[in-house]
Amino acid sequence: MTRRELLSLLYSLGAREFGRLLPAQDARPSTSPVFQVKALKGVDFVLRNSPTARKHLIETMPGGVALLDYNNDGLLDIFFVNGGHVRDKMAIPASFDRRNPAYWNRLYRQNPDGTFSDVTKQAGLADAGDSNYGMGVAVGDYDNDGFSDIYMTNFGKNILYHNNGDGTFTDVTAKAGVAAGGWSASAGFFDYDNDGRLDLFVTRYLDWSIEKSKTCGSEKPTYCPPGDFPAITNILYHNRGDGTFEDVSVASGIAAKKGHGLGVAFADYDGDGFTDIFVANDVTDQFLFHNNGNGTFTECGLDSGAALSESGKMPSGMGVVFQDYDNDGLPDLLITQLPHDPYVLFHNDGKGSFSAQELEAGLGALSGNVSGWGVGLEDFDNDGWKDAFIVQGHVFDNVQIYDDSLRYREPPLLAMNRAGRFERADPGSDLPVAGRGAAFGDLNNDGWMDVVTTSLGEAPQFYLNRRGQLHWLTIMLRGKRSNRDGFGARVQVNGQTRFATAAGSYLSSNDKRLHFGLGSAQTADIEIRWPSGIRQVVRDVKADQFIVIEESVQP
Amino acid sequence: MIHALLWMCLLLPPQSPEPSVPPDALPLLQSGIDAENRGAFDQAVDAFRKAAELAPNSAIIFLRLGDTYMKERDYVAAIPPLKHAAELSPDTPAVHQLLGYALLAAGYAADAIPHLKIVNDSGALGIAQLQAGQVAEAVTNLQAALAKSPDDPDLLFYLSRAATALAGQSLDRLRSIDPNSARGHQALGQTDYEMKMLPQAAKEYQQAIALRPDLPGLRLELGQVFAAGSEWAKAEEQFRGEAKLQPGSAEAAYRLGNALLQQGKMKEAAEELKRSDALSPDMPETLNALGKAAAISDPDVAEHALQRVIELEKQTPLVGQAFLVLAQIHRRQGKTEQAARDMENYRKIQALVGHPPS
Repeated sequence: MTRRELLSLLYSLGAREFGRLLPAQDARPSTSPVFQVKALKGVDFVLRNSPTARKHLIETMPGGVALLDYNNDGLLDIFFVNGGHVRDKMAIPASFDRRNPAYWNRLYRQNPDGTFSDVTKQAGLADAGDSNYGMGVAVGDYDNDGFSDIYMTNFGKNILYHNNGDGTFTDVTAKAGVAAGGWSASAGFFDYDNDGRLDLFVTRYLDWSIEKSKTCGSEKPTYCPPGDFPAITNILYHNRGDGTFEDVSVASGIAAKKGHGLGVAFADYDGDGFTDIFVANDVTDQFLFHNNGNGTFTECGLDSGAALSESGKMPSGMGVVFQDYDNDGLPDLLITQLPHDPYVLFHNDGKGSFSAQELEAGLGALSGNVSGWGVGLEDFDNDGWKDAFIVQGHVFDNVQIYDDSLRYREPPLLAMNRAGRFERADPGSDLPVAGRGAAFGDLNNDGWMDVVTTSLGEAPQFYLNRRGQLHWLTIMLRGKRSNRDGFGARVQVNGQTRFATAAGSYLSSNDKRLHFGLGSAQTADIEIRWPSGIRQVVRDVKADQFIVIEESVQP
Repeated sequence: MIHALLWMCLLLPPQSPEPSVPPDALPLLQSGIDAENRGAFDQAVDAFRKAAELAPNSAIIFLRLGDTYMKERDYVAAIPPLKHAAELSPDTPAVHQLLGYALLAAGYAADAIPHLKIVNDSGALGIAQLQAGQVAEAVTNLQAALAKSPDDPDLLFYLSRAATALAGQSLDRLRSIDPNSARGHQALGQTDYEMKMLPQAAKEYQQAIALRPDLPGLRLELGQVFAAGSEWAKAEEQFRGEAKLQPGSAEAAYRLGNALLQQGKMKEAAEELKRSDALSPDMPETLNALGKAAAISDPDVAEHALQRVIELEKQTPLVGQAFLVLAQIHRRQGKTEQAARDMENYRKIQALVGHPPS
């Protein structure tokens, strides 16, 4: 088989796998909503965070959502992380009533007709551990068997669910050695040493426990700031390739820095072929861990210009996305935070340095008095520029007592990217919620990116793209020498760049497929730099299709 | 508060008993003075009380007794003997001063005022007047006391309290006499703004502007309300209106420049900030904002402005910010060594003054 024949076959396979292409719709006027917000039939999840009068800090921080195709039927399924039952006075050791179905995490399988079925129990995901209060989720095929595995973070012990390939999962945490402990937040799979196996990074928020929990607030009880609790290290697990992981946090240098980690995102920001790590810290310097290429990392946020906001403040970093917003080929960082400063945008200036350019990019006019969490840079209108979607809502459920200009529940922010400058757009709903998690993907395989968000105490929100008439291309990578998911690959299409990852946002995991808006172009040239170092070019690819690109074995 | 008074308290120096005291009381008076000299205040009180019983018309004995109570910080107990001493010797300034202090310390501020007026003790009098609600008089007397002791921390503290209270009283009066005047709405807007009730504050200021569109300052304050809520486009509109009304106002130009900066309108922002700098040179906030606005489009202007911030401010968070922006500029220019020096300076400043509050 020639290379062209192979690619042709893969294209057709891709079209079969993701073949429910819908015809392009009429272009929408610029003022019309980008999304239609509606419930998805069969999804009855409620994020139960259990707010108490004692204001235990964990209860305002969940929860994650993942978009993944766990059964490889070409349709995105949804996994929600639930919180747990918190009481004013908690027993020691803590119990969060996770065996009660109301507090289960939930996996919803997408059916061919677009409805969903709750398959949590049959998939073996019902019991998340009574002593675990749920936080986030990461998805990746850590054993390269072709099926996406799920890693769930908690306050308590984290859980690795191996996908058995038959619609069920097995808790392999003990064998894999990835339980961590304490308060974990966002996590992500990536291949830091380019050995073809996905490693795992876990952020941890605070050195906090039920015993150490306390209540703050001068007028009314409220949640304590992160500075009231000691900082803690993040964790890096190296994948040994035999189903087990080794904690290399100390050896790699990751544990040399303590922070208040919440969000994590990956990209090779300096083009040296090794994936770097960015951790969004809450009121601490943000961490940029440069991958030295020898199994170690150097934290260089401050010297690279990616630690502090434009005003020199330590951002209250929540969520983060590490993608190229201005189409210069270099990954930039968008970090959500609490008021009273704009969301932080670190522009990658090249040569390993960043500069805070949230004001230049227009974010100063769009944020500043809002609180951001889940975040994505996706091309929602397929014009070739990645737009920003941010889930919002304050930490305090009684914030108005302290500042009447702030709100606990807020609608999301949708900001369309106009050649590198963001402008507010109508997301299709101004319903205020206490937003937290957000995952991005093409739920209905129509070529237009959708969003699923979580909010405290409520059902999730589904932002389904209303579509337009511009063209698109969605690529699924299949690594051979590289990890099978292709995480860490740099994919360039018609002058745009994406870094292959499911990580980013807040506590959440995104559709691993790479979506590109092509504008009016009907064909695309694709260039891939795989983590293995292999460069692969595919020219003149027809627009408006899903394709699978397998890593060329020829360098 | 009594500690604030004691610094100026005219405590009687230990001395020999005066000759006008009856002879049979003299040994007790001497014994009390000796005990006081030893710091044995209880014994001194005992001796002075016995002496007072033998000589009920001796002002000096009652003054001594009151003074000893004062030294024991028992201000309530000091009041009766000092009052009696004042009756016996109404022309003795030390008696009125001590009695004034005792009354003020015990919370009888209004009663203290006549005694402090007799001795013209403007500092203690100002404090007493503040406590008694005579705010305007308190400001006058505290200013007079500060003219003699300009760096006295207690006087500065009480003056700031008195001035705030006076401002509050003025606003209350303004609201009561004409709540629907432009100034009335402005005053209400200011109160709402201070209470972070931004929508209500904006409404008051808008009503004020509708009544008196010519009044300087209204748009500046309304713009600040919008700025506090990060409504920068609305803030820009108001600051622009203020700058038109007051083209010579450096503050209006600065705030307009900053609103433009926050919206990413860098070139316009830089122009307005340069104008503010020309109107009122060397304002560090203006120069810092100019440095940010010009960092990409005109790095020379930015660098000059930021260097000036560093010269002017020495060791403040603003200097830290200036070094950060300088490092960004130098990195972009490929001047890596200079950027490293900027970061080194940033770290030094940060270690001294910390980050700006998040």
